[in-house]
Amino acid sequence: MSTPFASRNGVAIVGYAQSAIEKHSTKSLGALTVDTARDAIGDAGLNVDMVDGFVTGSLFPTAGSHAAEDGVSLVSANWLAQRLGVNPRYAAGFQGFGQIPGAVSLAVNAVASGAANYVLMHRSLHNPKGTYHGNIMREARGSQQWTAPQGYFGPISMIALPYNEYLQRYGASRDAMATVLVEARKNGARIPWSYWHGQPLSREDYLSAEMISDPICRYDCDIPVDGAAAFVFTSADRARDLPHRPVYVSGFATGSPTTNRLPLHWPLDDIMGVGAETAKRLWSSSGLVPSDVDLPQLYDGFSPFVYFWLEALGFCPEGEAHRFVEDGGIDSDRPGGLPVLSGGGALGNGRMHGIPQMLECYLQLSRRAGDRQREQASIGLACHSSPHFGGAVAYSADR
Amino acid sequence: MTVDARPTPVPDERSAPFWKAASEHVLTVAQCGVCRAFAHPPDVVCPHCGSTDPQFTFTPVSGRGTVRSWTVVRRSFLPGFDVPYLLVDVELFEQTDLRLIGRLLDGPDVPLQVGTAVRVAFEDLAPGVAVPAFSLEGSS
Repeated sequence: MSTPFASRNGVAIVGYAQSAIEKHSTKSLGALTVDTARDAIGDAGLNVDMVDGFVTGSLFPTAGSHAAEDGVSLVSANWLAQRLGVNPRYAAGFQGFGQIPGAVSLAVNAVASGAANYVLMHRSLHNPKGTYHGNIMREARGSQQWTAPQGYFGPISMIALPYNEYLQRYGASRDAMATVLVEARKNGARIPWSYWHGQPLSREDYLSAEMISDPICRYDCDIPVDGAAAFVFTSADRARDLPHRPVYVSGFATGSPTTNRLPLHWPLDDIMGVGAETAKRLWSSSGLVPSDVDLPQLYDGFSPFVYFWLEALGFCPEGEAHRFVEDGGIDSDRPGGLPVLSGGGALGNGRMHGIPQMLECYLQLSRRAGDRQREQASIGLACHSSPHFGGAVAYSADR
Repeated sequence: MTVDARPTPVPDERSAPFWKAASEHVLTVAQCGVCRAFAHPPDVVCPHCGSTDPQFTFTPVSGRGTVRSWTVVRRSFLPGFDVPYLLVDVELFEQTDLRLIGRLLDGPDVPLQVGTAVRVAFEDLAPGVAVPAFSLEGSS
């Protein structure tokens, strides 16, 4: 059952840091993460030895032939704590999809329960040299025997199938999605740390881009990067003594389907059916309704997720997101537009998973967004992954 | 095996009967010995009745179904596939929401709709190794 979050606005983000977002970092992912963690702890006005909790969702999200090596291609909570010289009271990793809301829920629950006083939540993402998803597999074992020999492989075909279902069911065209990409890259171009800083995308460039798995073209996919981000969580009471304006966690929700499917088979009805449950949990947990939200930062690692989240969360009726978008509904510069990609999202920043969404909520609600600061920024929502396999966190500028 | 060979399935204890039948161009689906419902892929727990001892038998099915979605793959992330090719998400007639995904062998430019009728076809990858795919109902 959906119930209100018992510690609503009782836990806050009090500091953050983010590394450079680059195609390939000159530093190893582990070193980059240690630097970023130290910066985040310093930003919160704390010393490393005060941090007693570490959480992440460390998955290296690739279908390629790459080794998953702690400190090199991914960074776990325990790895990071050890390199910082901390024996943590609490260390945990979120194992599902939707690593950002999953890890935030671990951090918030740890603080709310008293398992830790100051929790560092991080996410580190690696872009290996060479092909990201390409795999030299000769033999398909285990769950992959049901899909790889048949030519069904990797996340791009995974998202192409439900996106095509959407286009067919609702008579939508690929043209409408150009508006999503133009919006994401417009905002990403304004962000100094974005991979796409200074590089907006035109409709024409979007519509003439190489197709990878119809109806998905290269620009419908975020670009892989090396990068790390970290946020510090503590109780609202402790947050009062720290330098930055706290941003409170009002509630959160994650979910995952119960249907047995082929690997990476995400039919549209699963996405929207389970997504509706996720949305219901989020509104119950946070006590909010869609019209309360100033900054609904929707996940966009693949562009169709923007449609799915708009509809799942009730910002427009099911089947209408493509029209809502075409009518200027998500133009963050238009008065009355819903700023769902004001932080650039993953399409406008690079493959930092749900970090751009979380960071935009934090920066705007703590009034630290600089010349991008929006006037209306009291309630934010940071989504990650698909509505049926991910989740969202609701943030508030006020207790 | 050539450098460009497609990945081949490695049968395991559970899946061996499926791949044996496939090598003879017979499509089977795991059927729960307790509730008789079909499950694909076969799991350790029956997704329908929850039995932890489902005693699946791989039962021949019609191989007929309808297209629920599709994509034209233009960049392959696996070796051995010539692009472009069509992938179809098929609901088999035998049971609501019983879904298989495979290549449609009629070429990448076939016009499709949700509901287009297809039937199973097989691609022989190596002696004794065949993988299920689909072709349009009515095509030769």
